Amino acid sequence: MLEHVLGASAGSRPEPDFPHLSIELKTLPINRFGKPLETTFVCVAPLTNLVGVTWHNCHLRHKLARVLWVPIIAEREIPIAERIIATPFIWSPSQEEEQLMAQDWQELTDMIVLGKVEQITGKYGQVLQLRPKAANSQAKTKAFNHQGKPFLTLPRGFYLKTAFTHEILKKHLRID
Amino acid sequence: MTIAVLPARLANQIAAGEVVERPASVVKELIENSLDAGATKLHIDIEKGGSKRIRIIDNGCGIEKDELCLALSRHATSKIKTLDDLERIASLGFRGEALASISSVSRLILISKPKSQSSAWQASAEGRDMAVKIQPAAHPDGTTIEVQDLFFNTPARRKFLRTEKTEFTHIDEVIRRIALARFDVAITLTHNGKTVRQYPALHDKKLYSKRVAKICGQKFIDHAITVDCQHEGLTLWGWIAQPDFYRSQNDLSYSYVNGRMMRDKLINHAIRQAYTDRLPHEAYPAFVLYFHLDHHDVDVNVHPAKHEVRFHQARYVHDFIYSVVHQALMSAQNSLDALAATNTVATPPITARDDHLNEASVTETQRDYITPLRYVNEKTAEQYNARQAASSVHKAPARIESLSSASQAYQALLTTPAVDPVETKHAITNPDSLSGEHYQVLTLLQDHYALIEQQAATEKILLLVAVMPFALFKEQMQLQQRWQSGLTSQPLLLPQQLEFSRDEVQWLNKQQALMQQAGIFYQVKDATHIQVRQFPAYLRQHNVQKALTDLVEKLKIIKNQALSGKDYCQALASIGLNTDFTPQSVQNLFNQLQIEQNDKFKQLIDLNSVSVDLTSLLSKLN
Repeated sequence: MLEHVLGASAGSRPEPDFPHLSIELKTLPINRFGKPLETTFVCVAPLTNLVGVTWHNCHLRHKLARVLWVPIIAEREIPIAERIIATPFIWSPSQEEEQLMAQDWQELTDMIVLGKVEQITGKYGQVLQLRPKAANSQAKTKAFNHQGKPFLTLPRGFYLKTAFTHEILKKHLRID
Repeated sequence: MTIAVLPARLANQIAAGEVVERPASVVKELIENSLDAGATKLHIDIEKGGSKRIRIIDNGCGIEKDELCLALSRHATSKIKTLDDLERIASLGFRGEALASISSVSRLILISKPKSQSSAWQASAEGRDMAVKIQPAAHPDGTTIEVQDLFFNTPARRKFLRTEKTEFTHIDEVIRRIALARFDVAITLTHNGKTVRQYPALHDKKLYSKRVAKICGQKFIDHAITVDCQHEGLTLWGWIAQPDFYRSQNDLSYSYVNGRMMRDKLINHAIRQAYTDRLPHEAYPAFVLYFHLDHHDVDVNVHPAKHEVRFHQARYVHDFIYSVVHQALMSAQNSLDALAATNTVATPPITARDDHLNEASVTETQRDYITPLRYVNEKTAEQYNARQAASSVHKAPARIESLSSASQAYQALLTTPAVDPVETKHAITNPDSLSGEHYQVLTLLQDHYALIEQQAATEKILLLVAVMPFALFKEQMQLQQRWQSGLTSQPLLLPQQLEFSRDEVQWLNKQQALMQQAGIFYQVKDATHIQVRQFPAYLRQHNVQKALTDLVEKLKIIKNQALSGKDYCQALASIGLNTDFTPQSVQNLFNQLQIEQNDKFKQLIDLNSVSVDLTSLLSKLN
């Protein structure tokens, strides 16, 4: 909804929410102490056609090149209409943040390519996480298993861990 | 339970447990030794599936008489000498375990004659300590190894041996694998005196397919696509079967890494993936593929039987193999389609296809999976641009644009901020050399007072100094340096509503510009409320309400004059000052002030210190 109000046009297409500004909009549910309540979905993780894809040309990096973070105080008890939008800010990953993400992306992507998709759990990665996209356990997508044979599995998405988004918040906002 | 060193034979038998699984593994180890010795002719005699006798005769370089003894002892090898060698193993063996292990579970005879030696010598190891007996023998140039009664002394292992025929099939498989690895070596295999296999040596690459046909079947070669691709030190060549010639077992999957036969998961994975949906689900592709790369880039020291290796750039290798095989399959498919369409013989020229393959792999230039954290330079980014533009998969021009803007952002990131010259000066300049006076902080009294020793030219004086004015002065100085560009401001998570008196709100309203320079952003809401949106990072540790109230109070004292940045800095410094002093921090503070503002420092010392004379106190003690 927020996307709509602010005039974001991309939807879930593989381009930034505001293509002409190349800014991605991310709402970030937090509690009243500024702690993120959940991991942040970034983009669908491709499980095939990964030959030649590196951190520098990967989709994830483009998505996160420039983000407008909109923290929303959205604890469960608060009715949706009363949730408060906190100060939004524009963020681009710092060198260290980018390194962390690149490292995790590399590890996770290597595992996908080498057929270990099914072994990946939320524990892999310091700042990034790969896990099934929640919505629907019926939808399946193609991937390769450990023998290199194609098989169907749940679509995965890259998520930013809460510790990482919390750090970003703390760095850019004053949280008492 | 006492601890004792195992007898040599037992230690070797333990090692044999992993290296010598069955007669076929003995054959493998021994042939690899022969090949490492440069043999071009191998004669392998097997009796009773190898459990009675395995004899391998080669024409390799042989072992000198003096070294025969060593050859049979454990951890003795000619193949590597140092750790560096271990990191780039070019020979098939390197552990120095095979012969010792085999001789510990069998009766082993080793006869060898190097070219330089006039006669041959025979060695055999016996007994608990595996003492080696050496005697003269007759033999042409080369080495013969005879392994009799395998597992005669390890009944447990013997039980695992299968029938003669099964064991021989395993040996035959080993020979097939080795024959595919070394086309230039002539191999003869006999079983119970009958010649079973004979592979003449081939020296012309064009004839290699004959041996492949002999081993994998003519049908395989008829359905095979040849692959030969080189790229940045990686080479992949060999034969892959078209998808319609699939196997229900993976019995025709031969892969070699630097001439070593492999059952490597990564390689098989890449190849299987290249076939994707072209194969039925339970089917296996058939292939004979040779992969070469720098010995440095692969670790062989992973598996005792060396069936698996570790690539230093696993994903790069995987993608390379995948792309090459995939491209080969695609172009074969296309030419088949073309054939069907025109119904004429239209074989694409091999060179063209090779170019195509090269092109496909060139796109992988500059990928460095090992050091993913190195930042891309403009050049590589451009290559990627070019590549993306060329690639039909990524058509979106928007992405290319954002890519180049990203690379510019990188450039910005890459420029490291210049090191503050003042900072460096601190590190190298000794305060003494500037002022001729040295102040040594001895201790702190009541947290905010320092007892210091002033060392002037000739005498030492004790001084008691109030630290606060110094710290305030320095803090203020630093704030003033940043004032022009405005202090760093942080948005609050949520805007904060604060209550002030009417008077104060009016005053605050007038002060907005200066307050913003100090990093405090607010809106006047009504006569008694303002809403704060941003607060200086400098006051991060302080409560917004309290800090702002203090600030207003301090500044309003001088309200009849026009306020300056200096006033603000002074007020902010007094609020934000960290008053947790330690002797070390005070010492640093003094040193720094002495270097940067020596006059002011002296003035501060004069104003804020009293000299302490202990003479009268000391005299009381005496």
